[in-house]
Amino acid sequence: MNFLTNNVFRQLVSRAIRTDYLENLTGFAWLILQPLILLAVYAFVFTTIFKSRVPDAGMGGFVPYLAVAFWPWTAFSEAVLRSSNCVSANAALIGKVAFPSELLPLSTVTATFVMNMAGYLAVLLVLQLMGAPIHWFGVILALPVLVLLYLFACGLALFVSALQVFIRDVSQILPPLMTFWFFTTPILYSSSVLPDRFATLMRFNPMSWYVERLRSFVLLGNYDFSLYDLAIPALTLLVFWGSLVFFRRFSAHFEDFL
Amino acid sequence: MEPLVRIKGVSKFYPRINRPRERLRAFASLMTGNEITEGAEVLQDVSLEVNPGQSFGIIGENGAGKSTLLKIITGVITPSHGSVEVNARVAALLELGAGFQPEFSGVDNVRMKAALLGMSASRLDRHLDQILAFADIGDYVYEPVKHYSSGMVVRLGFAVVAASDPQLLITDEVLAVGDESFQKKCIKWIESFLEQGNTLLMVSHSMYLVQKLCRQALWLHEGRTREIGDVFPVTQSYLAYHEERSAAESRQRRSQRGDSGLYRVSDFSLVGSADGKDLEVAGGGDLQAELVLHSPDGRPPVALFGVMRADGTPVYGVASDYDDIAAEQLDDHHYRFRIRFNSPALLPGSYSLRGHAMDPQGIRLCDTAELRFSVSGETREMGIIRLPHSWETGE
Repeated sequence: MNFLTNNVFRQLVSRAIRTDYLENLTGFAWLILQPLILLAVYAFVFTTIFKSRVPDAGMGGFVPYLAVAFWPWTAFSEAVLRSSNCVSANAALIGKVAFPSELLPLSTVTATFVMNMAGYLAVLLVLQLMGAPIHWFGVILALPVLVLLYLFACGLALFVSALQVFIRDVSQILPPLMTFWFFTTPILYSSSVLPDRFATLMRFNPMSWYVERLRSFVLLGNYDFSLYDLAIPALTLLVFWGSLVFFRRFSAHFEDFL
Repeated sequence: MEPLVRIKGVSKFYPRINRPRERLRAFASLMTGNEITEGAEVLQDVSLEVNPGQSFGIIGENGAGKSTLLKIITGVITPSHGSVEVNARVAALLELGAGFQPEFSGVDNVRMKAALLGMSASRLDRHLDQILAFADIGDYVYEPVKHYSSGMVVRLGFAVVAASDPQLLITDEVLAVGDESFQKKCIKWIESFLEQGNTLLMVSHSMYLVQKLCRQALWLHEGRTREIGDVFPVTQSYLAYHEERSAAESRQRRSQRGDSGLYRVSDFSLVGSADGKDLEVAGGGDLQAELVLHSPDGRPPVALFGVMRADGTPVYGVASDYDDIAAEQLDDHHYRFRIRFNSPALLPGSYSLRGHAMDPQGIRLCDTAELRFSVSGETREMGIIRLPHSWETGE
């Protein structure tokens, strides 16, 4: 984690934030608007058209239930997608200056998370004002979960961005994969509506732990703890470490393939 | 003394990855640790040690692997074989652009570059004014780098490098794009940098610059070390190699052209020189040359002689028609000119004498031959020629 104090890393993050979000005037607005619009669409489709009911939605109804899971997912998927081609996009830098290239995906993920988490906080405030029962103690407990989610995104970003250098198709395959992952994660629905078979399978999807844990902390004020709450963080750290090893092993050959 | 750079038996091999299948195969070999067999070898078994205070010039033809070697030393690329050890604060200025990103402003890129060179934010803040003053590109620093001229990019890049207080400076033929005054500024900076006991590694095609700034040289030829050692012998044999190559090329051209066509040099010699050796003239001694020109149409051509210093600086030139000299006709097609420079005022050093064939009107230069000679002697006088002078003693 010593990259956080690295000056190059800070430059890269501030650069990414400025170009991707702040430098075009609408960028920052879009950051809030885009998930809001999507949220509205989903809310309309699921509450009005399908009339779906979420059994454990709590008192707030469907919209807070969706929003609390939707923003972290957006941060996660945007971070992974954005960083997938960040190594090849910076080929000029890699070919001319010696620096730890893992800072490229790490800074992309960091910038995306910083911006989306700002949006997340804004949304939680809005929900509170609209009368949804936000458990602010749960929000504090959610912080380590979000940090783990960030590390999970970092891990995948490292893996994907290194792989993309060698296999260009990765950036084409990734978006549909992320869509598939979105629908197989209980974001729009609750895993309790699934048949048992699928519900068990669902537990192997780390993202389902993330969204359900965030919901139980933030919306339900449910702070139960089980072994499962150790397994996924352990898996996350393993993914992060393994991807870092993978990235470092192959970053020596980036220049040959760019 | 611990060397700053020690590379041993370094080779660099680029796998061939033009098509997706080749890419995949190369990646698969990487995964399994197999040797990749298809590709281009750009460096083969190069070893080099650079000690503190040395200044190394790396010379060679295009594609000889010079830039690759520098990139390996800076750690931008990993060698396929061999070991690299660098124990110094390195600042590198590789290629134009220096890793700048075109969308960002000059100041932004300076911040980034400074961070990449390991400068802390506070150190940069202290030095920012100094950097901008050194680069001297005015308000352009707030413009995106994509609007810069190549010279401005180099100015900014060099200014940051200069401020980063390196122990080892690595440059790759970048100074060449700066204008005269900026080049002078850089050279002055590098000279004082070297005087402080620092170390330089530079790639350049300018032998003048290499001889001026470097005391050692490495000549890379087709990815291998051809010669390594003191700068003068290495650069001289490199220049001689080029001389031979271009002579061979022009011979070839001439034979393709046949005998018809232009006036050309058929023989050129310095009187007193042994076969295959450069003539050595004692300081103040006469210099005599003989030039035989071929005239395809039988009209007498004009001969032009030029004396130049080894680096190409012209010293003196004179043509036979300036002095109304008629050629000595040898046969229908050959004319001979003989010239004697009476005790030329050349100071000791290496020079060359060129003999040119011109058309009978003395307008068009048709052919050139060059011979090298040196003037021996010891003197503390400076420059190229001795000007006649006398000291006024005030009596």
